[in-house]
Amino acid sequence: MAILNETVDGEESAGRSGWSRGAALLLRDKRAVVGLIILGLFSGMAIFAPLIAPYDPNAQDFSMMEGLSWTHLLGTDDLGRDLLSRLIFGTQISLFVGVSTVAIALVIGVFLGVVAGYFGGVLDNIIMRYIDVQWAFPNFIIAVYLVAVFGNGLMNVIIAISLAFIDDFARVARSMVLTIKEEQYIDAAKTVGASSWRIMWLHVLPNAAAPLIVVGTVSISYAILAEAGLSFLGLGVNPSTPTWGLILSEGRSFISRAWWIGVFPGLFIMLTVLSINFLGDALRDLLDTRETANIAAR
Amino acid sequence: MTAYLARRVLGAIVVMFVVATLVFFMLRILPGDPIAAMLFDVEDPDAVEFLRTKYGLDQPIYVQYVKWFGHLLTGDLGQSIYGSRQDVTRTILEAFPRTMSLAGLSFLIAMIIAVPAGLISAVRKNSTLDHVVTVVAFLGLSMPDFWFAIILIIAFAANLQWLPAIGYVPIAEGLWPWFSHLILPSIAIGTPFAAIIARMIRSSMLEVLQMDYIRVARSKGLLNTRLILVHAFPNALIPVVTVMGIAIALLMAGTVIVENVFAIKGLGRVLIQGILNRDFPVVQGAILVVSAIFVFANLLVDVLYTVIDPRIRFD
Amino acid sequence: MKKKFEDLTDLERKTVKDDLEHAYDFDPRDPLFGLTRDKLSGPRISRRSVMRLMAASGVLTAWHVLPGTTSKALAQNRGGILEAGWAGVGEITTLDPAQINQVLQFQITSSVLSGLTHLNADLVAEADIAETWTVNDAGTEIIFKLREGVTFHNGDKFTADDVIFTFNRSKDPDQSINGGLLKNVASLEKLNDLEIKFTLSAPQASFFVKTTERASGRALTIVSRGGLEALGTQQYGLTPIGTGPFRVTEHTLGQRVKLRRFDDYYDPERPVLDGVNITPISEPEPLAAAMEAGDIQLIGGNPVAPELVDRFEANSDIVVDIIGGNGFQAVFLNPWRDPFKVPSFDKPLAELMKEKGFMVRLAIAKAIDRDRFIERAQFGRGVPAYGSINPAMGFYFDESLAETSNQRFDVTAARKLLADAGFPNGEGFPTLTLKGGPPVRRDMQIIADILKRNLNIEIKIEIKEFQILVPEFQKVDYDMLRIGSGGDFDPDDGIVDFLQTSSRLNGANRDKAKMPFGHFGEADVDRLGDEQSRTADLKKRRVLVQKVNKITSDKVAAAFIYHPVDVLVHRKEVDFPARSRVVGLVDLDRVSFV
Repeated sequence: MAILNETVDGEESAGRSGWSRGAALLLRDKRAVVGLIILGLFSGMAIFAPLIAPYDPNAQDFSMMEGLSWTHLLGTDDLGRDLLSRLIFGTQISLFVGVSTVAIALVIGVFLGVVAGYFGGVLDNIIMRYIDVQWAFPNFIIAVYLVAVFGNGLMNVIIAISLAFIDDFARVARSMVLTIKEEQYIDAAKTVGASSWRIMWLHVLPNAAAPLIVVGTVSISYAILAEAGLSFLGLGVNPSTPTWGLILSEGRSFISRAWWIGVFPGLFIMLTVLSINFLGDALRDLLDTRETANIAAR
Repeated sequence: MTAYLARRVLGAIVVMFVVATLVFFMLRILPGDPIAAMLFDVEDPDAVEFLRTKYGLDQPIYVQYVKWFGHLLTGDLGQSIYGSRQDVTRTILEAFPRTMSLAGLSFLIAMIIAVPAGLISAVRKNSTLDHVVTVVAFLGLSMPDFWFAIILIIAFAANLQWLPAIGYVPIAEGLWPWFSHLILPSIAIGTPFAAIIARMIRSSMLEVLQMDYIRVARSKGLLNTRLILVHAFPNALIPVVTVMGIAIALLMAGTVIVENVFAIKGLGRVLIQGILNRDFPVVQGAILVVSAIFVFANLLVDVLYTVIDPRIRFD
Repeated sequence: MKKKFEDLTDLERKTVKDDLEHAYDFDPRDPLFGLTRDKLSGPRISRRSVMRLMAASGVLTAWHVLPGTTSKALAQNRGGILEAGWAGVGEITTLDPAQINQVLQFQITSSVLSGLTHLNADLVAEADIAETWTVNDAGTEIIFKLREGVTFHNGDKFTADDVIFTFNRSKDPDQSINGGLLKNVASLEKLNDLEIKFTLSAPQASFFVKTTERASGRALTIVSRGGLEALGTQQYGLTPIGTGPFRVTEHTLGQRVKLRRFDDYYDPERPVLDGVNITPISEPEPLAAAMEAGDIQLIGGNPVAPELVDRFEANSDIVVDIIGGNGFQAVFLNPWRDPFKVPSFDKPLAELMKEKGFMVRLAIAKAIDRDRFIERAQFGRGVPAYGSINPAMGFYFDESLAETSNQRFDVTAARKLLADAGFPNGEGFPTLTLKGGPPVRRDMQIIADILKRNLNIEIKIEIKEFQILVPEFQKVDYDMLRIGSGGDFDPDDGIVDFLQTSSRLNGANRDKAKMPFGHFGEADVDRLGDEQSRTADLKKRRVLVQKVNKITSDKVAAAFIYHPVDVLVHRKEVDFPARSRVVGLVDLDRVSFV
């Protein structure tokens, strides 16, 4: 991908044309195309879930653990619900969990990171000591603790995972700000008398965007996996809001008896995470952010 | 160098102190009552109050904190309050070798997969082989770990019956019993880890292969395999080492779930069960140890980095 | 293995009936229940006398008197190490009888420690570490003669001092959580090295089958003073030293308990095995895989998940032995919250039936299709419940309640009640929350679906850890809460523990100013409940128990759902003799390989 990198290197300040040029370049990468197609399909499934799901996802209307058939394309689960319908509605919630956790973590983390990096001094010290403390734990363990405090449920799980991811974004944002701060155009803006917030918003943030996009993309996949892990430990969402992780975790003791209950939700998660990773990898090459983006690999 | 080290170690200790304090107070806001749950079926109504007094849980939090900290300084982590009453130190000392065995073996398995995979896909960049390796690596990274673990159990324990489904046997009882119990969980943890390392090696190798001295060596007709393994690969490892701290975190997070599936009472399981049981002393102790591992692993990685990369100075 | 009642011949049914009749045929004013001193003294008490004792103390179940199938004469091989898995548990936290609070713990100590008596599956209270005993005419003084030449696993000699030591330890709240079990013992005296005398405050029929029982008794399960001094309490909790057939040679918390044959056990015929390794396995799939692969050969511990029972039954290498119908499982409805608010149950039923809050309660209880629930949640294993008194209580169980209860399943009536309460076809009904622990997760989803299907109301499910659920239950902080009791075989287990105003499990930590009772409070239940507890006349007690049961059922103290079964699973190479098959226990001393 070296050729791609050279092209992108020229894009120090990403204007509108830079974005569209970037998108065009991204589409040249097969991984990105495959990833985007799969994600597009799942997104469509999420948006039109009520239209395409053949049955009510929560209605226990059928016999339990019925195999694959034309009436139930993916069979029925251990409570006699149509597995396909559950997975389609699960797509909605799982993608929502993935995207919203990352959005929350991104906003809070970037805010902390940019403030710390830009102002430095005591503020930096306080924020970074906190981030260091959080950094001392794997994200997943933090999420487990937080769900234990908040209790089970969709909102609580989203908040727990997003808080657990804050330190990743804060670190990336801060280190980017530290590099950019020294650039001449920031000095120029300062001398013109622009306010700190304005400088951060208009100049610092856009330039720190590339690594954040990569970390953010990959984090979505970690959030989806983390939700599944929490469900496995009994710390996930409640049964009325089925996520893929919940469906998989509840189906796990039926795998040997009715393989479809344990296999399809796993495949859905795998495909999604896989395509997010493809996309993330392509973005990483395109934006040349290998070093920083690795941080998210937790 | 000494001053730098001293400063870093001191910093690490401060972080751990903050962690310990934070954890102590954060555990107290967990909803739930371990004593009431434990004595649910015991007919003596006074027993709950008696135990609460005995464990000092009836005292104000700051008093509990001061006491706990005093004990901590003397190396006493307290006793489990939910059920076993075992010394936390002992629980952790027992769990530690299990997690280390598991993490060590997972690391080994990951490397056995990752190094050839990374090298092949770098050297044969954009070949079919590269694509296959890439896809397989990402597949490994994309499975929920408990799901992968259960599938391994169904395949290799229940159906093929090659390996035991659950449990841990200490190495003192024989190398094979120890090893055989660890294979499946290590694969479950090692596979996603291998995927990450393989990707890192690939991209780092690609960079090294672009460097002048490699190009020169190539043009001089140096044997390809030798060139890759002796000249390029060691250099490509440098950036990989720098993210090892993160990698260890990943490994540890993997053990949390996998230990629960395979009924191995390692640190991860101790921690999770402690949180679920509201067994405060156990969680405090386990977190102290887990965070110490991270903090010092990160420290070690930083130091190692400065050693292997002379461009970085100690400031 | 016990036969199922449905499979019995007429003659066998008659025998069962006669046995039960005979068990309950005594004058309750007689402290010895019509048994002579001779009959109560022993190296053993006969089957018929034990049945009467159990009947008198309310622990006799119909299952107990079922005849066994003629067990095939299996060649018993001596020796071998049995690999056992303990289900649904991450670690066996303690084996110290003074700390034991779970059945899965005393399932193990039953093979390691001794009691003065032990109740086997043939309903014989066998002398265990005692050799014989005598009872005085008033039934208040019991003299046990102890076995001679018994030694502890550490070589110490067992004497009367050890019983005294155990007794004093159990009485001390600093050392034991089970002191409450000795409330009725006024004193214990050592007569000589091999004789001790208990003096009871009041005659207690259950003494031999409950208090001195080696497994569930706990308070008089003999511990070793020397062992405790040498090991310390903590280590003793892991590797207790006793006088039982097996000794604990190793216990790694959370990994494995190793039991090995104790060569100096008083009965040279036992144990048959050389040893047992016990591994706690919390996850269902690994448990099943280990069983199918033969890594483990027997499952003890918590009840096996219902979906696994089906799977094991389909496997020809695995034996599934099912008995029971004990305990009760229910959904509690908070009477202090709308829409099923009932501030007072102290009204005639007819009047209650006119209150909207009560109509909703009853509608919910009536709308639960127990048969569908058992079919789906328990894969067909279990007995529909309409009250706390369960079939395992035999004599007290009221079969007719299924027909006469106000809670009897009836969709049309339930819908009408809901409509009369102002929610025609569930319209305008608030979304309620149903709380429960992780093990009943599946089970609650089925209840919610049944209510949705039959009443068109939405129930949201919240899974809570036990550590949170118990305090919330005790504060009456819930809309609907799914809990139950696996407990004993005495009617007190449901009535006195759960359903009286002052019950310890009836909102003990509620705001008493705002809530005069917890989830239920009713004057007749309080009065009759106390009365039945004191009543020794079994037939009279049965009348009282069934009255209370009917009131709590009709006035919807809770929506009762089902009575579960007891399942033992082992591989077919394991011979688990019928006489060791005691409900809830996993006695290993006579188990062998085929």
